[in-house]
Amino acid sequence: MCAPEVNSPEESKPAMFFAPISKAVTEGASNSRHFRSGSRSLWGSAWLRVCLLLIACVGAGDGSASAQQGAASFDELAGRAAAARDGGNLSLAIDLYGQAERVKPDWAEGWFYLGMLQYSANAYPAAIDAFNHLLALQPGMPPGMALRGLCEFETGAYDDALQDLEQAVAKGAANQPRNEQILRFHLAELLTRSRRFQDALAQYQFFAAKKIQDDDVLVGMGLAGMRAPLLTKDVPAADREMYQAAGAAGYALLAENTQEADGLFSQLFARYPAAPNLHFFYGFLLFPHTPELAIEQFKSEVAIAPSNLEAHAMLAFSLMITGRYAEAQPEAELVLAKAPDMEMGQLALGRSLAEIGDVKRGTDLLNQVLQTDPDNLEAHLGMASVYSRTGRREDADREHKICRSLAK
Amino acid sequence: MLTVSTRFAAAWLSRATQRGRWLDAVCRAGAVACLLCLLAGGQLVWGQTAKSKTAAVTCATCHAGVVANYVHAPMRHAMEAGGANPVLDKHPNLTAQVGGYSYTVQTKDGKSTYSVTNGTETLTLPIKWMFGTHSQTWVLEKDGHLYESYVTYFARGEQLGVTPGDQRITPTNLTEAMGRKLPIWETQECFKCHASGAVEGAKLTLDTLRPGLDCERCHVGAEQHMADAVNDNFKTLPKSLKKMDAENVSNLCGSCHRTWDTVMRNHWQGPAFVRFQPYRLEHSRCFIGNDARISCLACHDPHQSVDHNDAVYDAKCLACHGAGKVAAVALTAGAVTPKICPVSKDKCVSCHMPKVELPGGQAVFTDHFIRVVKAGEAYPD
Repeated sequence: MCAPEVNSPEESKPAMFFAPISKAVTEGASNSRHFRSGSRSLWGSAWLRVCLLLIACVGAGDGSASAQQGAASFDELAGRAAAARDGGNLSLAIDLYGQAERVKPDWAEGWFYLGMLQYSANAYPAAIDAFNHLLALQPGMPPGMALRGLCEFETGAYDDALQDLEQAVAKGAANQPRNEQILRFHLAELLTRSRRFQDALAQYQFFAAKKIQDDDVLVGMGLAGMRAPLLTKDVPAADREMYQAAGAAGYALLAENTQEADGLFSQLFARYPAAPNLHFFYGFLLFPHTPELAIEQFKSEVAIAPSNLEAHAMLAFSLMITGRYAEAQPEAELVLAKAPDMEMGQLALGRSLAEIGDVKRGTDLLNQVLQTDPDNLEAHLGMASVYSRTGRREDADREHKICRSLAK
Repeated sequence: MLTVSTRFAAAWLSRATQRGRWLDAVCRAGAVACLLCLLAGGQLVWGQTAKSKTAAVTCATCHAGVVANYVHAPMRHAMEAGGANPVLDKHPNLTAQVGGYSYTVQTKDGKSTYSVTNGTETLTLPIKWMFGTHSQTWVLEKDGHLYESYVTYFARGEQLGVTPGDQRITPTNLTEAMGRKLPIWETQECFKCHASGAVEGAKLTLDTLRPGLDCERCHVGAEQHMADAVNDNFKTLPKSLKKMDAENVSNLCGSCHRTWDTVMRNHWQGPAFVRFQPYRLEHSRCFIGNDARISCLACHDPHQSVDHNDAVYDAKCLACHGAGKVAAVALTAGAVTPKICPVSKDKCVSCHMPKVELPGGQAVFTDHFIRVVKAGEAYPD
């Protein structure tokens, strides 16, 4: 059947699932498929890349009784299906794979091709059904999950799509460079929709690192950065420009063109002075590199949107990290008053209080964090400082050791 | 629901700061481990006294002794001024060959230039900002962007070598061979710790830059104090640093020399980070935050040049580990009794604070992790 295509030892795990497919089939499918609204350079042939690479070498089933009875018929059907597929006859290939599966329902490879061809023909519910069969036979198979996730995305089953794509990417489905773009983009979109903005930005970071620029990617990055839980196709036309510009600024920073990013963000602030989460976006991107500079952005954000709790939390945390404890305290108090269980607020307030004199309440808060998150480095750093400052040498030594262990 | 987790923040923090920060530390080879200020060399000028306001005065007007010492202190020379650079004046024609590129740093008539050539093309830039007083790295400007020079002058071998942290870079063109493009946050940190007046809020203000560190850098409020003193108002004194505990001193000094927290948060490991003295000091068993005898200031006066005579520091060690002190502590219930060294009573630091070479071997730092060093032990993180 289809031999594994192993390119290198590093790629062996994901590549073992992949095999080439006929160019004719993929080209034929590409003509029939509109992958995304607003498809442009990046996405125009994106589905094709997926088809090229998400081909499973799933192997034939081990032969059920029914398959034995219909062996001749099955072999003939399978051969004709492959020929139709290679010849670019999409509808005939789908029909023949369907017939073959009725004869031998445990033929995993057939389900994969059937699902992939239906996906190529925009027949998403049928494709999902085929991938369901495939994944029942080979649970957790990354290419199957990835393709099912993409189909679910198209049918609007976004929660299912997120679950499948996240697992598929975690299991290496995006390890092939050509798969990576389409999978990460859709995953990022779904993460944004689910309000997992930082996870979404982590996916978008791939595009900046690889210098892959596309309008939809920029809009998506802008949505994630400005914490708007929307898919790019659902962005109101009037807002698209702003999100794209925000994405471009974020992209520049993630691509390490920091001066350009700073200029682009400055332009955005001037053009959209009241837009929520623009300053937050810039601050969030600056924070890992320079909490000092991030503080200015978070301050601007809370001035624009005083009820933005996340901005207050990031401001408090950044102030704490930079040792500005007296300033961090009121911000953290405000955060915890509205969200008493927010870990970031507990850390910011706990450390700040402990450093400026209220050791009892400060350590209580830090211990509260440690009860739910025993390996929280930030809480242990706070405890180490408190013990050291108060002369509790043994406790300080213990906390220092824990910190060193966690920091490795 | 807040979706910004501290773990994520820490992870990004770590990734973002893994890059070499040699530039921040290159001048600190001999520098003290703290940044206690110097009411000296301040740039503010005001009437000398309320009675005679015509003559220009500086911090030195009242604090002449401190100022006189600080003129020679490493922090005062964290950046050298163009045209007054002893390092390059002494070595007016430095050259190096790294990979396919040749480097030349030439100084003539008080002006220095940095050139790199691949044999076909040559890029020559003026050296405006010189970071370091012993070893020296330069920040270069090209097309409106700032770059850290790809080669550094190392005092140890009196020669040029690849800037620490940049060994991982393989230049693919002349600009990359010239230097590493600096992100905005790194330029801010570089100039903030090596110069005065170079950063205003979130902006770099190089037109008002003054090389080296002024009083205000550590003694926040010094400038206001001077301005008020003109009017005989001596109530607005800068916060006293003398009363700070060891933990706070470490944090103040660590704002440039790196704190223990900073190193932990960034997951920095290995001998490259031995140059961050406050972090290493806090590793020591004898470090405790409320004991001034182990603060940076116990051994170092930032207004003075660093004393490299090991014996100078013996009294500091014996303040706790001397026989009389140990006996006294032993009588105190619950106190941890310091040990007395069975080997020697002098030059403690020569054994207990070993010298550590940076990777590449071009510079050596004193490890401030005070400990009993075992023969052949690996560098302890």
